Amino acid sequence: MSSKFNINRPPISDEEINKHKNFNQLLEKFKQQSLKKAQGDESWWKNKSIRYSTIIAGITVVCVVSYLSLTNSKKQNNTKHETLITQNTNNNSLSTHKFIQPPSEKLKSNYTAYKVNNAKGAELKHSTQSKINIPKNSFVDKNGKDIIGEVIIEYKEFHDMGDIIASGIPMAYDSAGKKYKLQSAGMFDIRGSQNGEAVYIKPDKSLDVELVSTNNEQKFNQYYLDTVQKNWQYLKHDQPNLIKSSATNTKNQRLLTNSKTEKLINEIEKVIPRKMDSVGVLYKHKSEKLTKPKEPSKPVKSNADRPNFKLEGSNEEFPELAAFNNVVFEVGPENKNCSTDIQEITWSDIKITQGPVSGKNYMLNLTYLNRKEKLIVYPVLSGNDFEKATVIYTSKLEEYDRLLAKRNADEKKLIVEMEAKQAAYMAELNRKKDELENEKAKLAAKYNVVQQNELASNFNTMSTSVKATRLFNISKFGIFNSDCPHAMAQGNTVSPIFLLSQSGKPFRPELVYLIDHSSQTVYSFAQTEGFRFTYDPLKVYSLCVFAKNKMFVCNKEKYQETIDKALNKFVITPLPDQNDNLIDFKTALEL
Amino acid sequence: MAINPHFHHNNAQLNEEMLLIDAAKADPGKFAPLYEKYYKQIFNYVYQRLEDKDAAFDVTGQVFLKALSNLNRYQFKGVPFASWLYRIAHNEVMQLFRTQKDKRAINADIGDLRFICEENETPFFEEYIPAIKTLIQQLAEDDLQLVELRYFEKRPFKEIADILDITEVNAKVRMYRVIEKLKKSLSKLKL
Repeated sequence: MSSKFNINRPPISDEEINKHKNFNQLLEKFKQQSLKKAQGDESWWKNKSIRYSTIIAGITVVCVVSYLSLTNSKKQNNTKHETLITQNTNNNSLSTHKFIQPPSEKLKSNYTAYKVNNAKGAELKHSTQSKINIPKNSFVDKNGKDIIGEVIIEYKEFHDMGDIIASGIPMAYDSAGKKYKLQSAGMFDIRGSQNGEAVYIKPDKSLDVELVSTNNEQKFNQYYLDTVQKNWQYLKHDQPNLIKSSATNTKNQRLLTNSKTEKLINEIEKVIPRKMDSVGVLYKHKSEKLTKPKEPSKPVKSNADRPNFKLEGSNEEFPELAAFNNVVFEVGPENKNCSTDIQEITWSDIKITQGPVSGKNYMLNLTYLNRKEKLIVYPVLSGNDFEKATVIYTSKLEEYDRLLAKRNADEKKLIVEMEAKQAAYMAELNRKKDELENEKAKLAAKYNVVQQNELASNFNTMSTSVKATRLFNISKFGIFNSDCPHAMAQGNTVSPIFLLSQSGKPFRPELVYLIDHSSQTVYSFAQTEGFRFTYDPLKVYSLCVFAKNKMFVCNKEKYQETIDKALNKFVITPLPDQNDNLIDFKTALEL
Repeated sequence: MAINPHFHHNNAQLNEEMLLIDAAKADPGKFAPLYEKYYKQIFNYVYQRLEDKDAAFDVTGQVFLKALSNLNRYQFKGVPFASWLYRIAHNEVMQLFRTQKDKRAINADIGDLRFICEENETPFFEEYIPAIKTLIQQLAEDDLQLVELRYFEKRPFKEIADILDITEVNAKVRMYRVIEKLKKSLSKLKL
């Protein structure tokens, strides 16, 4: 029988495919199958030789295990205890994770607590503008029973390397023995409780956490910190939702302006410039109104060698010629192709218009039948007419010079007047600018206090502008992170010696952090390894050292000085006791 | 030839996938990202060969169960995890056909049939469709699989070889023979 052949069969919709996708069911089947397999494998026990071999092997294993457990009883007890804690905290991070160890008590941050009525759910808005969407009836107790009443949701965020160091959350990612470091685009810790007892997210419910992020790159994945495996668990690729500006900053940046600054800005940017413009316009207007004397035309003596035309009525047509009697129009030397017979012809039509140089020359259009001539001509005088015209011209020129001098004096007066007004406005503008700067400085000081207070009171406030939000759909409490794994640094290796900046004495730290400012990653080093670390010479680093609950810093400059000299002695500076808080810690690390 | 994005990964993607597989080997609960990533892909592969969609969903479930059960045997060889899943899917589908032949179906678009004709230098007319269908239905199962993978799913030979667990050269040689057969039959088509 041949197979059925379908042409253009409609595809199954994604919705329908997704409906059949059920990983939990698959996992359940897998577990059942594994159980059956294990039960089925019991049949091997019926084989005599295998049975005896197994008993002997079993006894051997029991002996070895007993010996090991006696010799390592203390260690094993600790492991058991820790496992118990982490099992409990797999769904609830209320208990302390042994492998999450903040380097200093002084840097410890607080959770923000929210009260949520389980029956109603809530949309929580964190101080950083992150949002937590909690559907109604999302929580159950340890027995799986719905929680009645209010639940305390505790939440905190970590956004930069300072937050990460202070949190003590390990950022190493171990995969099949290969070690990676995680670069974070934002991390949060969320937990829930009622009357001090941990609560859990109901299996069929999930919470949406819209975490604000200062990084808008797409290279990050979402991870969950598995406190049992002590490793980060990949969840999915993280797709950031890009946003233009930080709502948090917008909120605080409102503190940088008030009605006074707004008024000053209006005066500086609009009112005064408008006044200055109007002074200029007024000057122009007045200047245009000043009478401009007309320069008299200088009479030109005719050239006997050049042809000329006497035209009736030209004095009326061109007033500049009115002062002269018997003006004739002489053909200019530029008319190179002018024929010699032009004066012999009785032209049927002659027209004269302004020439290329107004007031100086004219265009003469001559027409006779089909012949047309176009000539550039100059007004000239001859004989007595020229002498008379020269006398008139001299007297008119004197009058012209007098009027021109008066006009120039009037114009100068206007300019002085305008410049004085402009200078007054400029002085006013500078005064307003100074006033604005002072006011801004006052507001900036206030703003800084608010920012610092927020940072101090709430560990979660972000110091840089928010560029994106990252949506986590969580079905359990714990620590979630938007991360990008980086391979461990390649390059030079150094076994550091730390010297105290004041005494120059060697110092033995308990914990060392190498801060990679170029890749925004933090490497921690333990005492047992001698703090030996590998660095990339092309990257920018600083070091942060902890001992006896005290913090020390080797800043970028000092670190680079040591590296440039190929030395291993790093000078560390202690943070003064009054400054060993998170804000000063971040400042010292240049974060 | 179209590129299947789930089959063609860059090194970073392969590394990321390797990490996921390692995690899932240690804890089956961590198989979820791989299941999410490939479920639709594998379902479409299976459904392409079956008449009944419920059966296709069952087989797809079986594929992932087998994958999860045998994950510890999986060895990363620098190719996407998808190739291993496809091979399991191929075996599962073949297993089904051995017991329930009536489940087998061939699914193609008119464009696919036109592609076959053009690849074999034969002009395509809609009137040829019944004859082409018959030609394809008469192919042996191995040949049909090659036609489906190459012409209906537009997969490159590397991918076909991975799914059928043969070498790329072998896949090309076998495909050449199928083309020759088809060419001969298609040349006989007349309006």
